[in-house]
Formats: sequence, C-alpha cells, structure tokens
Amino acid sequence: MWTKIKWGLAILALVIAGLFLHYTLPQHDVVQVINTYNRVTQIGGNWLFYSIEDTGTGVETTTTSRDIRFIEAVFPDGESVMVYRNEDTGWLWPPYFKWNSSTLQAQATNALSDRTNPQWVAISHYGWRLPIFSIFPNAVSITPVEGPDVRLIPWINIIILTFLAFAIFMIRKMWLQFRERLVDPALVDAGEAFDAVGARAEAVQKEARGFFGRIGVWINTWRAKK
Amino acid sequence: MGWLRLAFILYVGLTIIYFVTSIYSRSVRREKLEKEWDTDPAREGVPVDERQAFIETGMQAYEEGLKRQLLWLIYILPTIGFAATIYFVNWT
Repeated sequence: MWTKIKWGLAILALVIAGLFLHYTLPQHDVVQVINTYNRVTQIGGNWLFYSIEDTGTGVETTTTSRDIRFIEAVFPDGESVMVYRNEDTGWLWPPYFKWNSSTLQAQATNALSDRTNPQWVAISHYGWRLPIFSIFPNAVSITPVEGPDVRLIPWINIIILTFLAFAIFMIRKMWLQFRERLVDPALVDAGEAFDAVGARAEAVQKEARGFFGRIGVWINTWRAKK
Repeated sequence: MGWLRLAFILYVGLTIIYFVTSIYSRSVRREKLEKEWDTDPAREGVPVDERQAFIETGMQAYEEGLKRQLLWLIYILPTIGFAATIYFVNWT
C-alpha cells in the first residue's frame, strides 16, 4: 500500500517537473509570419500564463485587462497555425529577461510574407497554446532561416538539461556522503548505546528505516546526552 | 526594482549552495585523507596523534589549494549565465 502511494507520488512529481520544464524551456518553430497586431486582452484565472502585472508590457488599463501584442504564423504545411503573444517577461520567472517586445514586434512585422512569396523565420518561444484557457506561447526571438526544412539544434536545452542532470547527480552524491559520514555513524552510536543498556540494537535499526527515520536518528544525536 | 529582488533571491540561493557544496567538498577531502592513511601498510601501528596531524595538514593544504577556490564558480557561472541571457535575448 505505502509503496504504491510512494510510487504514485514519485511519478506525479516527475510528471509535474516534466510539464514545468516543457512549459519553461525554449522551443523553436519554423514558420511564416502572416499577421501582427495588438489587442486588449482579458486576463482572469489564466493570469499565471501571462506576464506578471508590473513588467510594463503594453498599456495596462486594469489588472484584469491588458493590451498585448500578438504574432500570427503558419507552419510549412500551410494549414496549421500558431498565435504567439509577445510580452516582456519581467525579472523573476521565467528567467528570459525579455524587455524588447516592441522591437520583437517590429521584427515580426518586418518578416510578414504571404503564400506566394513565403519568408521563413524561426520563432523561439516558451509556453503552450491552450485555446480552452486562452493561453498563448510567448515569443522570445525571431531569426530568418533559409527554408522550411532547416534543422535547428536546441543548444540551450541541451546545456540546461545536462546541467540539471549534473545537479541531481551532485545532490545525490552529497546526500550519500552526508549519510555515510554523519548519519550512519550516529546509527552505530545509537545502536551501541542501546546495547549497553541491554536493549536490542535492532530497535534502532527499525526506527532508522527510510529517509526521515535516518534523519531523525541523526538529529537525536544533537540532543543533550542524559 | 525587479532586478534587485532577483539579485537578492539569486545570491541568497547561491550562498546556500556555496556553503553546502563547500561542506561536501571538505568532507570528501577528509575522507580521502583518512583512507590514504588507513590503507598505507607502512603506517600501521603509528600513533593516532600522527594520523590526526596528517589529516589536519592535508586539510590545511586543501583550504589553500586551487580546488577550494574553484568553488567561487558557484557565484561566477550563474552571474555570467544571467548576463549572457539578458544580452542574447535583448540585443541580438
């Protein structure tokens, strides 16, 4: 039972972490820009998926409605389309530190083209398009590319994910070192103390099961000895 | 003022990481010195005092060594990363 709950929670945490990374990390679309405009947009329960209020994007009339720039684009298949919002990101999260949305909008307008003479650009963006909640990905940069079939290597994602893997590896190593040097000796000490008064060391071993059990025993060694 | 808040949160976080990493690094070095002493057959039966002195000398060398100084990268690399992000997003 507990194992199942533990596995369930672990999988849930992994899924949330995965979704979080998928939302936050940059992605590239090769598209053709077909329209750029700004529009007063109502922001309600989906505020989490827009920039925070004080980032200075567009004209903020009230906290619930905002003038937001949009970029409309079509994919090389000529059918599927995407609508990007173009908002400054502010200083905290996600850490793109984008405050050139006016310039980006000008670049997007400059890249406007039609079906007969398509001009292909790579739009870097983060976020999702979820029509049901009126959520739009935020465009971060626009670069001209040679054609619709260009292959873009996601260097930023490679670097960030490698670094994340390294960080997780190091946290694990640190935890193991901490356990080996401080927690396990504490367990042995506690076991010996129990032996001395005739109780069984297994009681300690039993108490020390799992992550929090071990931490608990280690913290107990900090208490004043009686 | 946004950047001040960011800088504050960033450097508080990095300071925590710096201290945890330096404790870890020190612990690894101490363990290495202990093992070096304990596995050396020539040092069998040498008094505990000398083992202690050997470890303390090794730790002293570590504290002054290059590896210890490399930990400052914990502050330097994220700062460069953030500056580079700001540059590449807004000026290229």
